[in-house]
Amino acid sequence: MIAVKDKELKMLDKAASEFAKKQLAPEREENDKFPFGPFFSDVLSKAFELDFFHVVLPESLDGMNQGMAALSVILDNICREDSSLGGIIFTNAAAQQVMMEAGATDLLGGIVSADSVNDFLIGFPVFNNPAEVAHLAEARPDGDGYSLSGRLEYMVLGGIASHCLVPARIAGQDEYSFFLVNAKDNRMTVSDPVLSLGLRACPAVDIDFNGSRATLVGKAGDGDACFTAMADRLHVAAAAMAAGVMKGSFNEAFGYSKERFQGGQAIINWSEMKMMLSNMAIAIENADMILATAVSAVDNRTPGWERCSRAAALQIQESACELTTDGVQALGGVGYMKDFGQEKRFRDAKHIQALLGIAPMKRIKYIESLIK
Amino acid sequence: MNNISRAEQKRLLNRAPQFDDGFYSLRSAPRLPRTMVKEARTVVALARKFTETVIRPYTLELDRTLQQDPGFLPWEFVKKANEWGLYSMWIPKLFGGKGYSIPTLSLFLEETSRECLAMSNLIGVHYLGIGTLFSTWNIRLINEILTDVVAGENNGEPALVSLAHTEPGAGTDLEETELMDKATVTCLAEKVPGGYKLNGTKVFISNGHLSKWHMTTSFQDPDHPSSRAVILVVKTGSEGFSFGRKEHKMGQKGCPASELIFKDCFVPDCYVGTDFSQFKSLKREMTPSVSQLIDYIVATSRAGVAAWGVGAARGALEDAMAFARETEVDGKLLVNHEWVQIRLAEMHKNVSLARLSYLETNYANGLEGMFKIIQSKPVYYMLKMTPHWVVDRFMAPLLSGKQMTRTFRYLQMDRQTDAQIARTTGWASLAKVSGTDAGIRNCHLALEIMGQAGLRHDRRTEKILRDAKLLQIYEGTNQLNRLNIFKSLVGRNIPEIEIFAHE
Repeated sequence: MIAVKDKELKMLDKAASEFAKKQLAPEREENDKFPFGPFFSDVLSKAFELDFFHVVLPESLDGMNQGMAALSVILDNICREDSSLGGIIFTNAAAQQVMMEAGATDLLGGIVSADSVNDFLIGFPVFNNPAEVAHLAEARPDGDGYSLSGRLEYMVLGGIASHCLVPARIAGQDEYSFFLVNAKDNRMTVSDPVLSLGLRACPAVDIDFNGSRATLVGKAGDGDACFTAMADRLHVAAAAMAAGVMKGSFNEAFGYSKERFQGGQAIINWSEMKMMLSNMAIAIENADMILATAVSAVDNRTPGWERCSRAAALQIQESACELTTDGVQALGGVGYMKDFGQEKRFRDAKHIQALLGIAPMKRIKYIESLIK
Repeated sequence: MNNISRAEQKRLLNRAPQFDDGFYSLRSAPRLPRTMVKEARTVVALARKFTETVIRPYTLELDRTLQQDPGFLPWEFVKKANEWGLYSMWIPKLFGGKGYSIPTLSLFLEETSRECLAMSNLIGVHYLGIGTLFSTWNIRLINEILTDVVAGENNGEPALVSLAHTEPGAGTDLEETELMDKATVTCLAEKVPGGYKLNGTKVFISNGHLSKWHMTTSFQDPDHPSSRAVILVVKTGSEGFSFGRKEHKMGQKGCPASELIFKDCFVPDCYVGTDFSQFKSLKREMTPSVSQLIDYIVATSRAGVAAWGVGAARGALEDAMAFARETEVDGKLLVNHEWVQIRLAEMHKNVSLARLSYLETNYANGLEGMFKIIQSKPVYYMLKMTPHWVVDRFMAPLLSGKQMTRTFRYLQMDRQTDAQIARTTGWASLAKVSGTDAGIRNCHLALEIMGQAGLRHDRRTEKILRDAKLLQIYEGTNQLNRLNIFKSLVGRNIPEIEIFAHE
């Protein structure tokens, strides 16, 4: 929907769709076995070669500078088949955006010039709003940088990324700041990948910092401002992920309902099934309209675009949770089995709802932004 | 004005909604044996002890093991449950069991499932098999199988019972006779001298790989399945019977969903639960009798599934509460945020109301369904107070005679009115939908409160969501159960109603 009028976006739409169908769909069940099965490194590298990770970066950083519209088109298509890769792209984009908001383009430039995807990736705790976390890691000045101590739970892409962007409080300060840590620093302990509800091939780890060397990103105490600015933009991309999951779920339910017979007729001929599918289709149509409006608002910076982006995410993420529940239900018993994609979409939708912080808190922050 | 004749009262109370369609707890109260409350306390306490001792330490490990090795079978847990006597706890003393009243099983299932639905299923599904066995009212066979279950408990070799009903091409179709006759059934029983020859496949059979006895539904006439339904008891190890694949499920991983394959499997007459020849003696025709038998099973099993839903809803509430008590957001504990308090209250409401619905179903089954005889005060107290040796020596031998089967079938099947069948099965569907929807709803609320923490396997809540989703699907999807509520309770007395008509 977002790509309808724009030729470049149309091409990207097609490329992402074909990639998802050919590279992700056939191996979805296998890839979902991570961390008990192999990580899909080959697929990740192919996505990297197609520049899916470069769309938001400015041209000065060898990016495509195509804004949230392009990122949303990619995530929408990819998440129809397997949201794990979507989670990786989203997390990396969020980390990049925080660094750009902090004005740390030189630091970022050193990373995004990498030739391999693992060197290019930046880990980021993308399911938390650090301002809502009582106990962040602590940073202390150490020579020309800082040293970190303390624990960070659920560092997404930790274990596969070359760097991690860590929220931490400088000793003696109330506000938090962001720090860049080289993942090869041996003064931190990284857990095995955390077994999670969804997005299983988008790995997350717990990290214990024991004097890890860290570089301040932007100004001290500016963490919340950078996170908020990033979240204003990236919420719309989270909405696109949820919309993609919805479409994947509907497509599978619709196809199955035409083939599965019950009571002597294809189940699509039962009016309750029609009602369920109709509700799914309408939810998707509405999600697409909301998403198109929000993406346009964000990219054009129309007044109130920040709230528009957040409202889109909250609405579509919730809708995705409801829709994927019906998506499993439409397939009955087989919808619960791993041979089909529905159960994974059900898990992924709930996982995606938690992006960028606790969902109800995001609603409260939304109204507080109006009160101010 | 306040005077009302008995005839007028009867007429008014028979108007829709009929008085008897509801108020089961009120109607049951004076008829309940007093010691049932004591029993309920004992069962809940035992469930808590078992949960804390056996289930809780193993919950995450079992789920994680299954994610790593989907072929793993939890024999150790089954043996442990067997040691605790849980596989004979709700078997009547008449058949050698411990004789706890069956409604307390729901309480046990709720308590155990709040910690782990999979392990609770490993116990509860056994009673689904036993419930099916009971629904045949073939007392000789009931006695033989349950005696073996009790023996398995004594000799340390668990003898579980499963229900093999779902087929690759027919799941929901087999839950209602109206759909059954339009279904593509493939598990066929051919009458041969001395028994039946069974061919076909059953899928998604809970506890299949772990069970010794399989209550297997099959059909003599694939064009009219309901008119020639056969329930066969197949023993693991029988020639022509083998296990196929074990399904890879989203949740409830500890409880295997098995494929059962029958190839010219001979089942002797002594293991025929019921068939056309046995149904002939009943008051109702074959198809309504099959429908009644299905309703007998689901009227009890769906109460159990509802209890599981309540257990899931409780688990989610407890996890959310624990998280809210330990987590500070915006400078104060989450539990002190008003929006969190409202959500936790909502979750408590979901638990409490859903529990009431399965308790009401149990009362319905006690008054008008499967537990009617065994829960009547004379029988209840006789079984409670009669010493085991008296039961074994004087009562058990009577169970092998055909007269006992005839008597029970008359009392339980012929004397159950159509309205009673509808009410018990309708309430069971209502409970199933209420309980399982409450489970899913609470999981969503908990995960929203917990944010990132809720996504982690080591916090357990995400597992509850994965486990709970199956509850909305098995024992009839919630959509089918809603249709049953309509058929049995809402539109039962409306003549123009058509259910399952092609559209």
